[in-house]
Amino acid sequence: MDESNIVGLSINREYAKWAHRETDPAKVSGKPEALDDMLVLDLSQANFAGLFASSLLAEMGAEVVRIEPRGGDPARKMTPYGMMIGDAGLAYIVEGRNKHHVTLDIAREEGRKLLLGLARKADVLIHTFKPGHLDSLGLGYGALREGNPGLIFTAIHTYGQFGADSGKGSNQPDYDIVDQARGVIMSVTGEPDLDPAVPDAYKKPLKHGNWMGWYAGGAWAMFGIQTAMLHRRKTGKGQLVDASPPEGLMAISNYVMQYFHMSGQQMPRAGNYDYAVFPYTYVKCRDGFTFISGFSDPNWAALCEIMGRPDLRERFPTIRERLTPENQPTIQHEIERFTVGYTSDEIQQMITAYSKRPDKKGTVVTGRLETSGDVLKREHWGVRKTFVRVNDPEYGEVLVQNSTFKSMSKTPGRVKWLCRPIGADNETVYGKHLGLDVRQLSELKANGIV
Amino acid sequence: MGRGKPQADRPGELFNREIRFDTPEPLKGVRVLEVCSVVLGPATCDYLAEFGAEVIKFEGRKGDQMRYVTPYAYFWKGMSPGLEIENHNKYWVGMHVGNPKAKAIFLELVKKADVVVDNLTPGRMAEWGLDYRTLREVNPKIVQLHVSGYGSWGPWTGRTSYDAVAQSMGALASITGFEDRGPIKSGVWIADWVTGLMCANAILSALNYRERTGEGQFIDYLQVENVIRLLDWTWLYSFKTGEDRKRSGNRDLAICPSDLFGCLDGQVALAAFSEEEFRGLCEAMGQMDLFDKFRDPLHRLRDENARELLDRIADWAAGRRVEEVEALASEHGFAAARVLEAKDVYHSDHFRERGAIQEYEDPLYGKMVQQCYPPVLSETPGRLKWSCRPLGFDNRFVLRKMLGMPEEEVKALEEEGVVFRWNPDVPSQCPPPGWDGSSGVKTP
Repeated sequence: MDESNIVGLSINREYAKWAHRETDPAKVSGKPEALDDMLVLDLSQANFAGLFASSLLAEMGAEVVRIEPRGGDPARKMTPYGMMIGDAGLAYIVEGRNKHHVTLDIAREEGRKLLLGLARKADVLIHTFKPGHLDSLGLGYGALREGNPGLIFTAIHTYGQFGADSGKGSNQPDYDIVDQARGVIMSVTGEPDLDPAVPDAYKKPLKHGNWMGWYAGGAWAMFGIQTAMLHRRKTGKGQLVDASPPEGLMAISNYVMQYFHMSGQQMPRAGNYDYAVFPYTYVKCRDGFTFISGFSDPNWAALCEIMGRPDLRERFPTIRERLTPENQPTIQHEIERFTVGYTSDEIQQMITAYSKRPDKKGTVVTGRLETSGDVLKREHWGVRKTFVRVNDPEYGEVLVQNSTFKSMSKTPGRVKWLCRPIGADNETVYGKHLGLDVRQLSELKANGIV
Repeated sequence: MGRGKPQADRPGELFNREIRFDTPEPLKGVRVLEVCSVVLGPATCDYLAEFGAEVIKFEGRKGDQMRYVTPYAYFWKGMSPGLEIENHNKYWVGMHVGNPKAKAIFLELVKKADVVVDNLTPGRMAEWGLDYRTLREVNPKIVQLHVSGYGSWGPWTGRTSYDAVAQSMGALASITGFEDRGPIKSGVWIADWVTGLMCANAILSALNYRERTGEGQFIDYLQVENVIRLLDWTWLYSFKTGEDRKRSGNRDLAICPSDLFGCLDGQVALAAFSEEEFRGLCEAMGQMDLFDKFRDPLHRLRDENARELLDRIADWAAGRRVEEVEALASEHGFAAARVLEAKDVYHSDHFRERGAIQEYEDPLYGKMVQQCYPPVLSETPGRLKWSCRPLGFDNRFVLRKMLGMPEEEVKALEEEGVVFRWNPDVPSQCPPPGWDGSSGVKTP
């Protein structure tokens, strides 16, 4: 590879070259996998928190058995505008990675027995049913741990498995929008309450564009599973992991709770403003939007100098002036008067040139507000193999985001295969783990169990 | 007690917050050296600390930048709330690890540590002679994680990233916002928090592997790439259609209905995707014609159908109170919930009972009420033990207890300026006013 593509703007070229050798994406497939001694049963239904958690474990080498109901997991149909490729929607193809896909009707006695058999061998079970559903089938944690005390039983649900709200919430399914709503962050995300230029119709909570409730929820479930697994490796004990996605968001809601505790006040929605660091915002430019910052005094001085606006520095000299909801719209609009005259690239060049001046007053950071199409074109992501493009026998030409654990030097995460059709691995999985032969399997098939 | 056989109908029996401090900590014995500032690196270590890891945090003279980042320039008892949120249960050392004398001390600690984390400019640790090769020489089992916007190599390595840059460079910002308005940044530093969480996951995988094999490793983690990973179907959609993913406000383009609706007294989030759930919603609305027309979830997702259906639900919700819609959802088996704010959660019995909100007595700052990281673990739950601390507050504990350094040597290091404490002229580095000089001090 061209050396400039490796060392980039590194402050230490030798380090960059060493890091490249250690984490070269071309060498991933020959390396060991961190969790390839684990068997995971993923019973998630219509739920990408569960699917993301099992994707992460699968990227790390765990053997993940995806157990779908007859007809397939409804999550297969959660796809933009209803776009399907074969039996799977776009979102499901992304999170089907490295998983073995089987079907099983756990509500029938024979199906229940098969699950009990699998659960005896498993390290982890993940489910997203309404609380109490598995118990009603005799497949709750109590029943399963009798046959396997080391089992890490992971239950994902908006309201959790217990608590004052779980009574009324437990007949509701878990959805991303509701997870975001109960996760507090949504209450402070959206167009700024205190900017008079914003029409009232837009002054309401806003979700993150992606399934942030589900993805953060899944990442937290993975976190719980892995800590529990470490504990089990030392003590032999399994446990119940009760993962409520809203709690995953609430726990990372900046200082809203702390500020309420300390001052008795709540933070308003700030939009692209930030009442703790400003300017630190998206501004309009000639070809879209770009990020711009300069919040400490020296950095603000630098930004004012780049814009040729010493008057702004005099008007808003310290963070006390720059952090008020009243002044931020003014500062924002003044910055935009400057930035709308240039493209994001021109602004980047201007700021880079300024950063090389010996008499610079501080550091200004910028970064284009990329669309999804922009991101797919960038060389950096190509070189780092951020995306995996394959011609899949079932799903054709597809591109999905790679494992972000791929830059671990010894046990890099990886994508080995994409999605599989409904029930495609029945024979392999039931044969390997339960010793079922073709005849037994076809009987189960005939009875509608698998 | 509920530690015996669990009751199927009472899963809460498995969790008893009264005994939280008697349960084992899953990461006890894992020692983490934190060479981090701001949010992303410190959050990575914070997640581990609340589950029992012993995190030693190093600060330079100026201290962590978050000592000065706080809403409205507001400080509480001299402390910055911005610093509090990603720093719990940690030991605080004032020592610039780039100083050659400090480096020797740091390497002594590496011998007794399990994990080293930094979120500095990539290559900075190497410049200081603290690259993985050196760390591995003194401790072959060490796990080192470096996290930065673009990683340790590649055309863009060395470019500066902040949370908001990662949100924009990873295209999260461009898909967040109302359909006919501009892009909106998350209300929180989401790209820092969730990247920190995935860093913690990478570390835990490495520790699990080490438990099996005894081998450590180096981990390079990319913040912007992490944002990209979390954007569900975005990339496959753009790849297949050649089009950018557009903003759609609170409407979910892949699940219908799933949106935020205005009621008489506030907003309610509502979703009903499966045929059964959708039937429940139509029954609750008393509009079974909608069910007949839009029974098939895929059919519902077509743009014109989705708009028609969402309008009908909006009209219905507009005449109802939030509580009424929530109750109907619980009765008919679809999902609906109000948008919770900080004060709702703060006062919630539900979250307190679950240990998601914990109250504890900090030796320096008194009563605290705040979030503890999930998930709730039945055998080894997370816990808050103490809050953030003044600069250099635990110098002696770390140097004397962990390294067995005699007091005279610590004094000499202080006189030389290798090890230091808070600057009395900078309140947000200092103990709270009126501190008695001993509360919170961990004696070696």
